[in-house]
Amino acid sequence: MTPPTPPVLRFDGVSFAYGGGSGPPVLRELSFALGAGERVALLGRNGAGKSTVARLITGLLYPGAGTVWVGDWDSRGRRPEELARRVGSVFQHADQQLFARTVREDVAFGPRALGHDAADCDRRTAHALDLLELAALADEHPYDLPPPFRKLAALAGALALEPLVLVLDEPTAGLDRGLQGRVARALDERAARGTTLLVITHDLGFAAETLDRALVLDAGRLARDEPLHQWLVAPGRLAPLGFVPPPLVELSLALALPGTPVRAAAVADALAARCREP
Amino acid sequence: MRRLHPFTLLALAAALPLLAWILPAPRGALAPALAAATLAAAAGPRRVLLPALLTAAPLWFFLFILHGVGGMLVFGVRLTAMIASFVWLVAVLPPARLVEAMVAAGWGAPSAYLFAATLSAVPLLQQRARRIVEAQRCRGLSPRGSPLARLRALRALALPLVLSALHEVDERALALETRGLGAGHRRTPLAPPPDSALQQAARLALLLACGLALAWRLR
Ligand SMILES: Nc1ncnc2c1ncn2[C@@H]1O[C@H](COP(=O)(O)OP(=O)(O)O)[C@@H](O)[C@H]1O
Ligand SMILES: [Mg+2]
Repeated sequence: MTPPTPPVLRFDGVSFAYGGGSGPPVLRELSFALGAGERVALLGRNGAGKSTVARLITGLLYPGAGTVWVGDWDSRGRRPEELARRVGSVFQHADQQLFARTVREDVAFGPRALGHDAADCDRRTAHALDLLELAALADEHPYDLPPPFRKLAALAGALALEPLVLVLDEPTAGLDRGLQGRVARALDERAARGTTLLVITHDLGFAAETLDRALVLDAGRLARDEPLHQWLVAPGRLAPLGFVPPPLVELSLALALPGTPVRAAAVADALAARCREP
Repeated sequence: MRRLHPFTLLALAAALPLLAWILPAPRGALAPALAAATLAAAAGPRRVLLPALLTAAPLWFFLFILHGVGGMLVFGVRLTAMIASFVWLVAVLPPARLVEAMVAAGWGAPSAYLFAATLSAVPLLQQRARRIVEAQRCRGLSPRGSPLARLRALRALALPLVLSALHEVDERALALETRGLGAGHRRTPLAPPPDSALQQAARLALLLACGLALAWRLR
Protein backbone atom coordinates (compact mmCIF):
# COMPACT_ATOMS: atom_id res chain seq x y z
CA MET A 1 0.00 0.00 0.00
CA THR A 2 1.34 3.43 -0.89
CA PRO A 3 1.18 5.96 1.91
CA PRO A 4 -1.37 8.71 1.24
CA THR A 5 0.29 11.81 -0.22
CA PRO A 6 -0.06 14.83 2.06
CA PRO A 7 -2.63 17.34 0.84
CA VAL A 8 -1.49 20.23 -1.33
CA LEU A 9 -4.14 22.51 0.09
CA ARG A 10 -5.96 22.15 3.37
CA PHE A 11 -8.52 24.29 5.15
CA ASP A 12 -8.61 23.39 8.80
CA GLY A 13 -11.65 24.82 10.62
CA VAL A 14 -11.35 28.14 8.79
CA SER A 15 -13.68 30.95 9.78
CA PHE A 16 -13.57 34.46 8.39
CA ALA A 17 -15.35 37.80 8.68
CA TYR A 18 -14.48 41.06 6.92
CA GLY A 19 -13.85 44.29 8.79
CA GLY A 20 -11.05 42.77 10.85
CA GLY A 21 -13.41 40.05 12.09
CA SER A 22 -16.12 42.43 13.21
CA GLY A 23 -18.37 41.98 10.15
CA PRO A 24 -20.93 39.23 9.69
CA PRO A 25 -19.32 35.78 9.38
CA VAL A 26 -18.54 34.99 5.73
CA LEU A 27 -16.92 31.57 6.19
CA ARG A 28 -17.77 29.23 9.04
CA GLU A 29 -15.49 26.40 10.14
CA LEU A 30 -14.55 25.37 6.67
CA SER A 31 -12.52 22.16 6.42
CA PHE A 32 -11.39 20.28 3.33
CA ALA A 33 -8.20 18.90 1.83
CA LEU A 34 -7.13 18.70 -1.80
CA GLY A 35 -4.48 16.32 -3.07
CA ALA A 36 -2.00 16.70 -5.92
CA GLY A 37 -3.63 16.75 -9.35
CA GLU A 38 -7.19 16.93 -8.03
CA ARG A 39 -9.64 18.90 -10.17
CA VAL A 40 -12.10 20.62 -7.92
CA ALA A 41 -15.05 22.91 -8.62
CA LEU A 42 -15.90 25.46 -5.94
CA LEU A 43 -19.62 26.10 -6.34
CA GLY A 44 -22.24 28.21 -4.63
CA ARG A 45 -24.58 31.10 -5.19
CA ASN A 46 -23.39 34.73 -5.28
CA GLY A 47 -22.14 35.85 -1.90
CA ALA A 48 -21.59 32.29 -0.64
CA GLY A 49 -17.94 33.09 0.07
CA LYS A 50 -16.15 31.53 -2.91
CA SER A 51 -13.97 34.52 -3.76
CA THR A 52 -13.12 34.88 -0.09
CA VAL A 53 -11.81 31.30 -0.12
CA ALA A 54 -9.62 32.20 -3.11
CA ARG A 55 -8.27 35.29 -1.35
CA LEU A 56 -7.44 33.25 1.76
CA ILE A 57 -5.43 30.80 -0.34
CA THR A 58 -3.43 33.58 -2.00
CA GLY A 59 -2.62 35.32 1.28
CA LEU A 60 -4.58 38.46 0.45
CA LEU A 61 -6.64 37.60 3.54
CA TYR A 62 -5.85 35.54 6.62
CA PRO A 63 -8.33 33.37 8.52
CA GLY A 64 -9.95 34.73 11.66
CA ALA A 65 -9.87 31.23 13.11
CA GLY A 66 -8.43 27.96 11.83
CA THR A 67 -5.55 27.47 9.42
CA VAL A 68 -5.02 27.50 5.67
CA TRP A 69 -2.24 25.10 4.71
CA VAL A 70 -0.54 25.32 1.33
CA GLY A 71 1.56 22.18 1.39
CA ASP A 72 3.46 22.51 4.67
CA TRP A 73 3.13 26.29 4.74
CA ASP A 74 0.73 27.96 7.14
CA SER A 75 -0.60 30.90 5.12
CA ARG A 76 -0.52 33.12 8.18
CA GLY A 77 2.59 35.25 8.25
CA ARG A 78 3.27 34.70 4.54
CA ARG A 79 2.75 37.51 2.09
CA PRO A 80 0.97 36.98 -1.26
CA GLU A 81 4.20 37.43 -3.20
CA GLU A 82 5.68 34.59 -1.16
CA LEU A 83 2.69 32.30 -1.56
CA ALA A 84 2.93 32.94 -5.32
CA ARG A 85 5.69 30.31 -5.32
CA ARG A 86 3.04 27.68 -4.66
CA VAL A 87 -0.26 29.29 -5.63
CA GLY A 88 -1.16 30.62 -9.07
CA SER A 89 -4.33 32.65 -9.18
CA VAL A 90 -6.52 34.42 -11.66
CA PHE A 91 -9.20 36.74 -10.38
CA GLN A 92 -12.38 37.91 -11.98
CA HIS A 93 -11.04 41.09 -13.58
CA ALA A 94 -7.83 39.51 -14.74
CA ASP A 95 -7.98 41.22 -18.12
CA GLN A 96 -7.23 44.53 -16.35
CA GLN A 97 -3.95 43.52 -14.74
CA LEU A 98 -1.68 43.31 -17.82
CA PHE A 99 0.95 45.99 -18.14
CA ALA A 100 3.93 44.88 -20.20
CA ARG A 101 4.53 45.89 -23.79
CA THR A 102 3.93 42.42 -25.15
CA VAL A 103 1.90 39.44 -24.08
CA ARG A 104 5.11 37.42 -23.79
CA GLU A 105 6.73 39.91 -21.40
CA ASP A 106 3.60 40.02 -19.31
CA VAL A 107 3.44 36.24 -18.98
CA ALA A 108 7.13 36.23 -18.04
CA PHE A 109 6.56 38.78 -15.28
CA GLY A 110 5.62 36.23 -12.59
CA PRO A 111 8.54 33.82 -13.07
CA ARG A 112 10.93 36.81 -13.21
CA ALA A 113 9.49 38.34 -10.05
CA LEU A 114 10.02 35.00 -8.32
CA GLY A 115 13.66 35.07 -9.35
CA HIS A 116 13.88 32.24 -11.86
CA ASP A 117 16.81 32.52 -14.26
CA ALA A 118 16.35 33.78 -17.81
CA ALA A 119 16.38 30.38 -19.51
CA ASP A 120 13.85 28.99 -17.06
CA CYS A 121 11.62 32.06 -17.48
CA ASP A 122 11.71 31.65 -21.26
CA ARG A 123 10.83 27.98 -21.04
CA ARG A 124 7.92 28.55 -18.63
CA THR A 125 6.61 31.45 -20.69
CA ALA A 126 6.79 29.58 -23.99
CA HIS A 127 5.08 26.56 -22.48
CA ALA A 128 2.27 28.61 -20.91
CA LEU A 129 1.68 30.46 -24.20
CA ASP A 130 1.61 27.14 -26.07
CA LEU A 131 -0.88 25.61 -23.68
CA LEU A 132 -3.37 28.40 -24.37
CA GLU A 133 -2.47 28.61 -28.09
CA LEU A 134 -1.30 32.20 -27.68
CA ALA A 135 2.10 31.81 -29.30
CA ALA A 136 0.97 33.67 -32.44
CA LEU A 137 -0.12 36.64 -30.33
CA ALA A 138 2.93 36.66 -28.05
CA ASP A 139 4.44 39.82 -29.53
CA GLU A 140 1.21 41.82 -29.58
CA HIS A 141 0.55 44.58 -27.09
CA PRO A 142 -1.91 43.13 -24.53
CA TYR A 143 -4.29 46.04 -24.94
CA ASP A 144 -4.43 45.56 -28.69
CA LEU A 145 -6.18 42.26 -27.99
CA PRO A 146 -9.88 41.89 -27.20
CA PRO A 147 -10.65 41.27 -23.50
CA PRO A 148 -11.20 37.50 -23.80
CA PHE A 149 -7.66 37.09 -25.13
CA ARG A 150 -6.34 39.32 -22.37
CA LYS A 151 -8.03 37.02 -19.91
CA LEU A 152 -6.24 34.06 -21.51
CA ALA A 153 -2.97 35.99 -21.27
CA ALA A 154 -3.58 36.52 -17.55
CA LEU A 155 -4.23 32.79 -17.17
CA ALA A 156 -0.99 32.09 -19.04
CA GLY A 157 0.73 34.34 -16.51
CA ALA A 158 -0.55 32.12 -13.69
CA LEU A 159 0.38 28.91 -15.55
CA ALA A 160 3.92 30.22 -16.03
CA LEU A 161 4.36 30.26 -12.25
CA GLU A 162 4.03 26.44 -12.45
CA PRO A 163 2.41 26.42 -9.03
CA LEU A 164 1.26 23.50 -6.88
CA VAL A 165 -2.28 24.90 -6.86
CA LEU A 166 -4.14 26.94 -9.43
CA VAL A 167 -7.00 28.99 -8.01
CA LEU A 168 -9.21 30.38 -10.76
CA ASP A 169 -12.18 32.68 -10.23
CA GLU A 170 -14.61 32.31 -13.16
CA PRO A 171 -11.92 31.50 -15.76
CA THR A 172 -14.42 30.96 -18.59
CA ALA A 173 -16.74 33.90 -18.02
CA GLY A 174 -16.87 36.02 -21.16
CA LEU A 175 -15.06 33.43 -23.31
CA ASP A 176 -16.64 31.85 -26.38
CA ARG A 177 -16.76 28.07 -26.80
CA GLY A 178 -13.52 27.95 -28.70
CA LEU A 179 -11.59 29.83 -26.03
CA GLN A 180 -13.27 27.83 -23.26
CA GLY A 181 -11.96 24.73 -24.99
CA ARG A 182 -8.43 26.11 -24.83
CA VAL A 183 -8.78 26.74 -21.11
CA ALA A 184 -10.12 23.22 -20.58
CA ARG A 185 -7.22 21.64 -22.50
CA ALA A 186 -4.64 23.72 -20.66
CA LEU A 187 -6.11 22.77 -17.28
CA ASP A 188 -6.23 19.10 -18.32
CA GLU A 189 -2.55 19.17 -19.12
CA ARG A 190 -1.61 20.90 -15.87
CA ALA A 191 -3.69 18.57 -13.70
CA ALA A 192 -2.25 15.52 -15.48
CA ARG A 193 1.18 16.78 -14.39
CA GLY A 194 0.08 17.07 -10.81
CA THR A 195 -1.16 20.64 -10.42
CA THR A 196 -4.19 20.88 -8.15
CA LEU A 197 -7.09 22.84 -9.65
CA LEU A 198 -9.59 24.81 -7.61
CA VAL A 199 -11.99 26.46 -10.01
CA ILE A 200 -14.79 28.83 -9.04
CA THR A 201 -17.40 28.65 -11.77
CA HIS A 202 -21.07 29.03 -12.58
CA ASP A 203 -20.57 27.22 -15.87
CA LEU A 204 -21.59 23.68 -14.98
CA GLY A 205 -21.09 22.48 -18.56
CA PHE A 206 -17.45 23.51 -18.38
CA ALA A 207 -17.12 22.06 -14.88
CA ALA A 208 -18.63 18.72 -15.95
CA GLU A 209 -16.10 18.34 -18.75
CA THR A 210 -13.02 19.48 -16.86
CA LEU A 211 -13.43 18.87 -13.12
CA ASP A 212 -14.07 15.86 -10.88
CA ARG A 213 -14.98 16.98 -7.41
CA ALA A 214 -17.54 19.46 -6.10
CA LEU A 215 -17.11 21.64 -3.04
CA VAL A 216 -20.40 23.42 -2.54
CA LEU A 217 -20.54 26.48 -0.30
CA ASP A 218 -23.80 27.66 1.14
CA ALA A 219 -23.72 30.85 3.22
CA GLY A 220 -20.11 30.24 4.20
CA ARG A 221 -20.55 26.61 5.18
CA LEU A 222 -19.38 23.58 3.26
CA ALA A 223 -22.73 22.14 2.20
CA ARG A 224 -21.34 19.32 0.03
CA ASP A 225 -18.03 17.70 -0.77
CA GLU A 226 -18.59 14.87 -3.24
CA PRO A 227 -17.78 13.70 -6.77
CA LEU A 228 -18.98 16.38 -9.17
CA HIS A 229 -20.73 13.74 -11.28
CA GLN A 230 -22.78 12.61 -8.30
CA TRP A 231 -23.74 16.19 -7.42
CA LEU A 232 -24.71 17.02 -11.00
CA VAL A 233 -27.12 14.10 -11.44
CA ALA A 234 -28.77 14.23 -8.01
CA PRO A 235 -32.24 15.67 -8.54
CA GLY A 236 -33.14 18.78 -6.57
CA ARG A 237 -29.56 19.75 -5.60
CA LEU A 238 -28.88 22.34 -8.27
CA ALA A 239 -31.99 24.52 -8.31
CA PRO A 240 -31.84 25.69 -4.65
CA LEU A 241 -28.35 27.03 -5.34
CA GLY A 242 -29.49 28.88 -8.44
CA PHE A 243 -27.91 26.44 -10.91
CA VAL A 244 -29.51 25.01 -14.03
CA PRO A 245 -28.41 21.49 -14.99
CA PRO A 246 -26.30 21.48 -18.18
CA PRO A 247 -28.20 20.21 -21.25
CA LEU A 248 -26.09 17.03 -21.45
CA VAL A 249 -26.96 16.13 -17.87
CA GLU A 250 -30.66 16.66 -18.58
CA LEU A 251 -30.38 14.52 -21.70
CA SER A 252 -28.54 11.81 -19.84
CA LEU A 253 -31.18 11.79 -17.10
CA ALA A 254 -34.14 11.98 -19.49
CA LEU A 255 -32.92 9.00 -21.51
CA ALA A 256 -31.87 7.14 -18.36
CA LEU A 257 -28.51 6.42 -19.95
CA PRO A 258 -26.62 3.76 -17.97
CA GLY A 259 -24.31 5.35 -15.43
CA THR A 260 -25.83 8.77 -16.23
CA PRO A 261 -22.78 10.13 -18.08
CA VAL A 262 -22.28 13.91 -17.99
CA ARG A 263 -19.34 14.46 -20.35
CA ALA A 264 -19.92 14.87 -24.08
CA ALA A 265 -17.78 11.91 -25.15
CA ALA A 266 -19.36 9.58 -22.59
CA VAL A 267 -22.88 10.66 -23.51
CA ALA A 268 -22.08 10.09 -27.19
CA ASP A 269 -20.76 6.58 -26.40
CA ALA A 270 -23.86 5.73 -24.40
CA LEU A 271 -26.13 6.99 -27.18
CA ALA A 272 -24.21 5.02 -29.78
CA ALA A 273 -24.51 1.90 -27.65
CA ARG A 274 -28.22 2.45 -27.26
CA CYS A 275 -28.63 2.81 -31.04
CA ARG A 276 -26.92 -0.54 -31.56
CA GLU A 277 -29.35 -2.27 -29.20
CA PRO A 278 -31.84 -4.46 -31.01
CA MET B 1 -19.76 72.47 4.10
CA ARG B 2 -22.09 70.12 2.28
CA ARG B 3 -24.76 72.82 2.34
CA LEU B 4 -22.66 75.16 0.20
CA HIS B 5 -23.53 75.54 -3.45
CA PRO B 6 -21.55 73.12 -5.65
CA PHE B 7 -19.91 76.02 -7.48
CA THR B 8 -18.66 77.44 -4.19
CA LEU B 9 -17.12 74.09 -3.27
CA LEU B 10 -15.63 73.87 -6.74
CA ALA B 11 -14.24 77.42 -6.50
CA LEU B 12 -12.59 76.65 -3.15
CA ALA B 13 -11.08 73.42 -4.46
CA ALA B 14 -9.71 75.24 -7.50
CA ALA B 15 -8.52 78.43 -5.75
CA LEU B 16 -6.45 76.74 -3.02
CA PRO B 17 -4.12 74.78 -5.33
CA LEU B 18 -3.93 77.75 -7.71
CA LEU B 19 -2.82 79.98 -4.87
CA ALA B 20 -0.35 77.33 -3.74
CA TRP B 21 1.25 77.37 -7.20
CA ILE B 22 1.13 81.12 -7.63
CA LEU B 23 2.43 82.22 -4.21
CA PRO B 24 6.15 81.77 -3.50
CA ALA B 25 6.95 78.31 -2.20
CA PRO B 26 7.42 76.87 0.27
CA ARG B 27 6.46 79.64 2.70
CA GLY B 28 3.68 81.38 0.76
CA ALA B 29 2.24 78.11 -0.49
CA LEU B 30 2.01 76.83 3.05
CA ALA B 31 -1.15 78.81 3.87
CA PRO B 32 -3.32 77.44 1.05
CA ALA B 33 -1.90 73.94 1.64
CA LEU B 34 -2.81 74.19 5.32
CA ALA B 35 -6.26 75.53 4.41
CA ALA B 36 -6.82 72.56 2.09
CA ALA B 37 -5.62 70.14 4.77
CA THR B 38 -7.92 71.80 7.30
CA LEU B 39 -10.91 71.42 4.99
CA ALA B 40 -9.98 67.77 4.49
CA ALA B 41 -9.67 67.25 8.24
CA ALA B 42 -13.03 68.92 8.84
CA ALA B 43 -14.66 66.60 6.31
CA GLY B 44 -13.22 63.58 8.11
CA PRO B 45 -9.72 63.06 9.52
CA ARG B 46 -9.65 59.35 8.71
CA ARG B 47 -11.89 59.25 5.68
CA VAL B 48 -10.57 62.32 3.86
CA LEU B 49 -7.38 63.76 5.34
CA LEU B 50 -5.59 60.45 5.80
CA PRO B 51 -6.09 59.22 2.19
CA ALA B 52 -4.94 62.63 0.93
CA LEU B 53 -1.77 62.47 3.00
CA LEU B 54 -1.16 58.85 2.02
CA THR B 55 -1.46 59.84 -1.63
CA ALA B 56 0.93 62.75 -1.18
CA ALA B 57 3.54 60.88 0.86
CA PRO B 58 5.14 58.85 -1.96
CA LEU B 59 5.34 62.02 -4.06
CA TRP B 60 7.34 63.70 -1.28
CA PHE B 61 9.59 60.68 -1.32
CA PHE B 62 10.19 60.84 -5.08
CA LEU B 63 10.68 64.61 -4.93
CA PHE B 64 13.30 64.11 -2.26
CA ILE B 65 15.13 61.58 -4.46
CA LEU B 66 14.94 63.83 -7.51
CA HIS B 67 15.43 67.32 -6.04
CA GLY B 68 16.74 67.01 -2.51
CA VAL B 69 15.20 68.68 0.52
CA GLY B 70 14.72 72.15 -1.06
CA GLY B 71 12.87 70.86 -4.11
CA MET B 72 10.90 68.46 -2.00
CA LEU B 73 9.54 71.32 0.12
CA VAL B 74 8.83 73.63 -2.84
CA PHE B 75 6.87 71.08 -4.85
CA GLY B 76 5.66 68.90 -2.01
CA VAL B 77 3.67 71.68 -0.37
CA ARG B 78 2.04 72.61 -3.67
CA LEU B 79 1.22 69.04 -4.63
CA THR B 80 -0.20 68.42 -1.18
CA ALA B 81 -2.48 71.44 -1.59
CA MET B 82 -3.67 70.04 -4.92
CA ILE B 83 -4.27 66.54 -3.66
CA ALA B 84 -5.94 67.60 -0.42
CA SER B 85 -8.29 69.98 -2.28
CA PHE B 86 -9.23 67.34 -4.82
CA VAL B 87 -9.81 64.57 -2.29
CA TRP B 88 -11.82 66.99 -0.16
CA LEU B 89 -13.95 68.03 -3.15
CA VAL B 90 -14.68 64.42 -4.04
CA ALA B 91 -15.71 63.76 -0.44
CA VAL B 92 -18.05 66.73 0.01
CA LEU B 93 -19.56 67.13 -3.43
CA PRO B 94 -21.84 64.34 -4.65
CA PRO B 95 -21.47 64.31 -8.45
CA ALA B 96 -25.24 64.31 -8.91
CA ARG B 97 -25.49 67.68 -7.17
CA LEU B 98 -22.79 69.11 -9.38
CA VAL B 99 -24.61 67.93 -12.50
CA GLU B 100 -27.83 69.54 -11.28
CA ALA B 101 -26.09 72.82 -10.57
CA MET B 102 -24.26 72.84 -13.90
CA VAL B 103 -27.42 72.06 -15.87
CA ALA B 104 -29.31 74.71 -13.93
CA ALA B 105 -26.58 77.19 -14.86
CA GLY B 106 -27.12 76.41 -18.52
CA TRP B 107 -24.46 73.78 -19.25
CA GLY B 108 -25.38 70.92 -21.56
CA ALA B 109 -26.14 67.73 -19.69
CA PRO B 110 -23.42 65.64 -21.43
CA SER B 111 -20.55 67.97 -20.57
CA ALA B 112 -21.85 68.43 -17.03
CA TYR B 113 -22.14 64.69 -16.68
CA LEU B 114 -18.68 63.95 -18.02
CA PHE B 115 -17.22 66.53 -15.67
CA ALA B 116 -19.00 64.99 -12.69
CA ALA B 117 -18.09 61.49 -13.84
CA THR B 118 -14.45 62.43 -13.41
CA LEU B 119 -15.15 63.09 -9.74
CA SER B 120 -17.27 60.00 -9.18
CA ALA B 121 -14.63 57.82 -10.83
CA VAL B 122 -12.16 58.47 -8.02
CA PRO B 123 -13.46 55.96 -5.44
CA LEU B 124 -13.87 53.44 -8.24
CA LEU B 125 -10.30 53.96 -9.33
CA GLN B 126 -9.08 53.50 -5.77
CA GLN B 127 -10.88 50.18 -5.62
CA ARG B 128 -9.48 49.19 -8.98
CA ALA B 129 -5.99 50.22 -7.95
CA ARG B 130 -6.28 47.94 -4.94
CA ARG B 131 -7.41 45.06 -7.15
CA ILE B 132 -4.51 45.57 -9.52
CA VAL B 133 -2.00 45.71 -6.67
CA GLU B 134 -3.41 42.47 -5.32
CA ALA B 135 -3.29 40.71 -8.67
CA GLN B 136 0.34 41.70 -9.21
CA ARG B 137 1.34 40.61 -5.72
CA CYS B 138 -0.19 37.22 -6.42
CA ARG B 139 2.22 37.02 -9.37
CA GLY B 140 5.16 37.67 -7.09
CA LEU B 141 5.43 41.47 -7.24
CA SER B 142 6.79 42.80 -3.98
CA PRO B 143 5.67 46.33 -3.08
CA ARG B 144 8.60 46.58 -0.68
CA GLY B 145 12.32 46.73 -1.18
CA SER B 146 14.76 49.22 -2.68
CA PRO B 147 13.58 52.49 -4.28
CA LEU B 148 14.41 50.97 -7.67
CA ALA B 149 12.28 47.91 -6.95
CA ARG B 150 9.46 50.21 -5.88
CA LEU B 151 9.76 52.21 -9.05
CA ARG B 152 9.44 48.99 -11.04
CA ALA B 153 6.43 48.04 -8.97
CA LEU B 154 4.85 51.40 -9.72
CA ARG B 155 5.11 50.68 -13.45
CA ALA B 156 3.28 47.39 -13.03
CA LEU B 157 0.43 49.28 -11.42
CA ALA B 158 0.27 52.57 -13.28
CA LEU B 159 -0.44 51.37 -16.81
CA PRO B 160 -3.34 49.03 -16.01
CA LEU B 161 -4.85 51.74 -13.86
CA VAL B 162 -4.64 54.47 -16.47
CA LEU B 163 -5.92 52.19 -19.22
CA SER B 164 -8.83 50.98 -17.15
CA ALA B 165 -9.66 54.58 -16.27
CA LEU B 166 -9.81 55.47 -19.96
CA HIS B 167 -11.97 52.43 -20.57
CA GLU B 168 -14.22 53.60 -17.76
CA VAL B 169 -14.70 57.04 -19.34
CA ASP B 170 -15.56 55.30 -22.62
CA GLU B 171 -18.15 53.10 -20.96
CA ARG B 172 -19.71 56.02 -19.12
CA ALA B 173 -19.99 58.04 -22.31
CA LEU B 174 -21.66 55.06 -23.94
CA ALA B 175 -24.07 54.58 -21.04
CA LEU B 176 -24.85 58.26 -21.35
CA GLU B 177 -25.76 57.95 -25.02
CA THR B 178 -27.97 54.93 -24.49
CA ARG B 179 -29.88 56.81 -21.79
CA GLY B 180 -30.73 59.54 -24.27
CA LEU B 181 -28.31 62.01 -22.79
CA GLY B 182 -26.57 62.53 -26.10
CA ALA B 183 -25.66 65.97 -27.35
CA GLY B 184 -28.46 68.39 -28.11
CA HIS B 185 -30.78 67.51 -25.26
CA ARG B 186 -31.51 69.93 -22.47
CA ARG B 187 -32.90 68.50 -19.27
CA THR B 188 -34.71 70.40 -16.58
CA PRO B 189 -33.05 69.78 -13.24
CA LEU B 190 -35.48 68.52 -10.64
CA ALA B 191 -34.11 70.33 -7.62
CA PRO B 192 -31.67 73.11 -8.34
CA PRO B 193 -29.41 73.41 -5.28
CA PRO B 194 -29.68 76.70 -3.40
CA ASP B 195 -27.25 79.50 -4.07
CA SER B 196 -26.95 82.86 -2.29
CA ALA B 197 -25.58 86.32 -2.90
CA LEU B 198 -23.04 85.73 -0.16
CA GLN B 199 -21.73 82.60 -1.85
CA GLN B 200 -21.58 84.37 -5.21
CA ALA B 201 -19.58 87.14 -3.56
CA ALA B 202 -17.27 84.57 -1.95
CA ARG B 203 -16.62 82.93 -5.31
CA LEU B 204 -15.84 86.31 -6.84
CA ALA B 205 -13.48 87.03 -3.96
CA LEU B 206 -11.63 83.75 -4.51
CA LEU B 207 -11.27 84.57 -8.19
CA LEU B 208 -10.01 88.06 -7.33
CA ALA B 209 -7.55 86.67 -4.81
CA CYS B 210 -6.06 84.37 -7.46
CA GLY B 211 -5.90 87.22 -9.96
CA LEU B 212 -4.25 89.59 -7.48
CA ALA B 213 -1.74 86.99 -6.37
CA LEU B 214 -0.83 86.35 -9.99
CA ALA B 215 -0.49 90.07 -10.72
CA TRP B 216 1.68 90.52 -7.63
CA ARG B 217 3.97 87.62 -8.63
CA LEU B 218 4.32 88.82 -12.23
CA ARG B 219 4.95 92.39 -11.20
N1 LIG C 1 -14.13 43.52 0.88
C1 LIG C 1 -15.27 43.14 1.48
N2 LIG C 1 -15.70 43.79 2.59
C2 LIG C 1 -16.83 43.40 3.22
N3 LIG C 1 -17.60 42.38 2.84
C3 LIG C 1 -17.24 41.69 1.75
C4 LIG C 1 -16.05 42.03 1.01
N4 LIG C 1 -15.93 41.16 -0.02
C5 LIG C 1 -16.99 40.34 0.07
N5 LIG C 1 -17.78 40.63 1.12
C6 LIG C 1 -18.99 39.92 1.54
O1 LIG C 1 -18.63 38.59 1.85
C7 LIG C 1 -19.60 37.68 1.38
C8 LIG C 1 -18.94 36.65 0.48
O2 LIG C 1 -18.41 37.30 -0.65
P1 LIG C 1 -17.61 36.53 -1.77
O3 LIG C 1 -16.56 35.72 -1.15
O4 LIG C 1 -17.20 37.53 -2.78
O5 LIG C 1 -18.73 35.57 -2.37
P2 LIG C 1 -18.83 34.84 -3.80
O6 LIG C 1 -17.50 34.93 -4.47
O7 LIG C 1 -19.24 33.46 -3.47
O8 LIG C 1 -19.89 35.55 -4.57
C9 LIG C 1 -20.67 38.50 0.68
O9 LIG C 1 -21.72 38.67 1.57
C10 LIG C 1 -19.98 39.80 0.41
O10 LIG C 1 -20.92 40.85 0.46
MG1 LIG D 1 -17.00 35.97 -6.29
